[in-house]
Amino acid sequence: MSESVINVSELTRRFGAQTALASVSLSMPRGAVYGLVGANGAGKTTLIKHILGLLRAESGSVRVFGLDPVADPVGVLSRIGYLSEENDLPAWMRVGELIRYSRAFYPAWNDAYAEQLRQTFALDPAAKIKTLSKGQKARLGLLIALAHRPELLVLDEPSSGLDPIVRRDILGAVIRAIADEGRTVLFSSHLLEEVEQVADHVTMISHGKIALSAPLDAVKESHGSLDAAFLAHVGTTPDP
Amino acid sequence: MRSPALAIAWEFRQRHRWGLIALAGYLLVLATVKLLILEPGQAINMDSAERFAAVVVVPLTVTFTYFLAVFSFGLSGDLAGRHSMYPARLFTLPVTTAALAGWPMLYGSAAMVLLWLATRFLAVWPSGIDIPTIWPALLAVSLLTWTQALTWMPYGLPGLRVIVAVLWLAVIDSIALLALRYDAREPVMLAILAPQIPVAYVAARIAVARARRGDVPDWRGMFARLGQIADVLPRRRDHFPSPAHAQLWFEWRWHGRSLPALVGILLPFELALLWVANDSPVLVFETLLGVLLTPPFMAAFAAATVRKANPYVSDSYGLTPFIATRPLTSAALIAAKLQATIWSTLSAWLLVLVAIPLALKLSGTWPMVIERARRVVDAVGAPRAIVFVLLGLSGLMAATWKQLVQTLYIGLTGRVWLIKSSLFLTLLLLAAIGPIAVWIVENSEVRAALWNGFPWILGALVCCKMVAAAWVVTHVYRSGVLSDRTLVTGAACWAVAVLALYGLLAWLLFTPAMPRYLLGLIAILAIPLARLSAAPLALAWNRHR
Repeated sequence: MSESVINVSELTRRFGAQTALASVSLSMPRGAVYGLVGANGAGKTTLIKHILGLLRAESGSVRVFGLDPVADPVGVLSRIGYLSEENDLPAWMRVGELIRYSRAFYPAWNDAYAEQLRQTFALDPAAKIKTLSKGQKARLGLLIALAHRPELLVLDEPSSGLDPIVRRDILGAVIRAIADEGRTVLFSSHLLEEVEQVADHVTMISHGKIALSAPLDAVKESHGSLDAAFLAHVGTTPDP
Repeated sequence: MRSPALAIAWEFRQRHRWGLIALAGYLLVLATVKLLILEPGQAINMDSAERFAAVVVVPLTVTFTYFLAVFSFGLSGDLAGRHSMYPARLFTLPVTTAALAGWPMLYGSAAMVLLWLATRFLAVWPSGIDIPTIWPALLAVSLLTWTQALTWMPYGLPGLRVIVAVLWLAVIDSIALLALRYDAREPVMLAILAPQIPVAYVAARIAVARARRGDVPDWRGMFARLGQIADVLPRRRDHFPSPAHAQLWFEWRWHGRSLPALVGILLPFELALLWVANDSPVLVFETLLGVLLTPPFMAAFAAATVRKANPYVSDSYGLTPFIATRPLTSAALIAAKLQATIWSTLSAWLLVLVAIPLALKLSGTWPMVIERARRVVDAVGAPRAIVFVLLGLSGLMAATWKQLVQTLYIGLTGRVWLIKSSLFLTLLLLAAIGPIAVWIVENSEVRAALWNGFPWILGALVCCKMVAAAWVVTHVYRSGVLSDRTLVTGAACWAVAVLALYGLLAWLLFTPAMPRYLLGLIAILAIPLARLSAAPLALAWNRHR
């Protein structure tokens, strides 16, 4: 648990006059499940995009596995599984084609595990992605993110796409299994109960600033509940 | 704002206020010149074509094109796509389909009429010419309403919109030109043009209604058998050997088939002219020239899909997270794109090179072509004739590929302001190029000056190219987007290509009238360097914002 997978130091990002992230510093050790919680527009996705190298740090630094994700996208992205908040899988592909295509990028891709996930998620390999429902697309995205057994799994608002059954029965189990194997999970959410169910460590973000970052047990111990902690440090509850 | 009509008008005004302000400024200048600088009733002798073109024709054409794009929602849609270009967000408004189709048509028509009337009455026209008042406005309205109807219509095949729109608008233009050629009077022109507007409105209403209920025909199934034949080669059941192979497959499937498909759709119509014109050698050779120019011409349209950073959202320019998070370098992403465009070019040309001899044979025009070829061989010798043909074909293929990739460095930046400014400048250039060409052709002094200054012009262009290339390479090197080895290899390949072209030109054009250094400058300008090198930089700028 001592080696840091993600190290963010004094990261600041502005979009025009608006400050999306203000001197954010964060360190995430290996093997933990991190819940990034905040209201819509708090800066969760902006922080995740910096970690993936999709945004360049204006000031401060971002290191993932000790590497700069902008300078070395291959070194970083090949070890990350990412489920985007946006449902942007190529609509013209078939499920089987997407699996075959994605497999080429990850040396650690596990065919047996991918097939197991496909069956669990009830995805037809011959189906075109454009014919899938929103929930099915999210399941497919999760399959692609998981099948290469990434060292770091990043889930951006998974609850916005996944249907309740997958969220309740599968997502939690998958996340716990990954953490038990010593790998790291970072997931963002505006649902406190979702974070409470699976996270070891919770980071609250508000108006681009880290309001609180501590182990879940410690937060519960000091505030009684996650809701109370959020209210105390952010001043309001996140959007329902 | 209490009515939907006002809301739609407000959206047009708000989104395009800067363009409208620029237009108002232009009209103000015209009015100032006419009313304040020139004396009332003064006869204007504007014999100089270039002045007239610069003051009236070019701005009028640019504004007309701008209005076409604005009022058909063409600036934010996917022209080559199957879906309607009418913004889907408006379909959920509690407004009738008639209103959705009608108000943009009405506003666009009013804008076109005002544009013409303002130009008609405010611009300084050459004296002695009777400028019509009504029918040019009606022609503009007719072209606009048909453009709207055809762009809002959902189509069964990708790219079909471009073909249908170009052909139909050309027909309307040709009818008007034909009528003018036979000195048709204003009432005749009105009788030809006026009925088209209600017909176009009905077509637009049907188009919007179909788009609104999601009725998008899909005729791709009709080509399924052809697709299966085509898929025999590229479709792979086994695993990709490398990420680069997977990305090449992705690029090919995404946009690689657009150009061969567009060329394949047009070829039968073009080659059918051989059966109509098989008695006239001139028409046969004009048809063949048209067929040979089809791939580079259509490549300009297909390039819109190649350079698009986001394939899924028609009005978004940034990379999608799916593509941006591929564990590949930006250089590898570009390499896959370039390889796919090479395959696309070769596929399109394979179609052309197979179709031409087949059509010549079946139409009975083959002997005519062979006879002409023999004459050329007798005149220049067999080796030179073969090299000329090969060079011509290679040049056309290279031009096709260049059309596909030369604007990558703009489209892949994902910056809306850059993409739209570039589009505007291109339209401006296209509008200006005709009058400038006429000016050069008609003015012997200019021609002489251009001829005398030709080496200097080439030299200046080469300097510009080398400065741009140096800037790009410096930034590519500093950013680390390309490795040192790739940079050196790329530079060496470019130098070899320039030397090879120079050698070929020197062998072909062995004449004292053409100094060797000029051939060198032409070779340097012909081989792409700066814009192509900038593509990985543009993608990296978009990917890591």
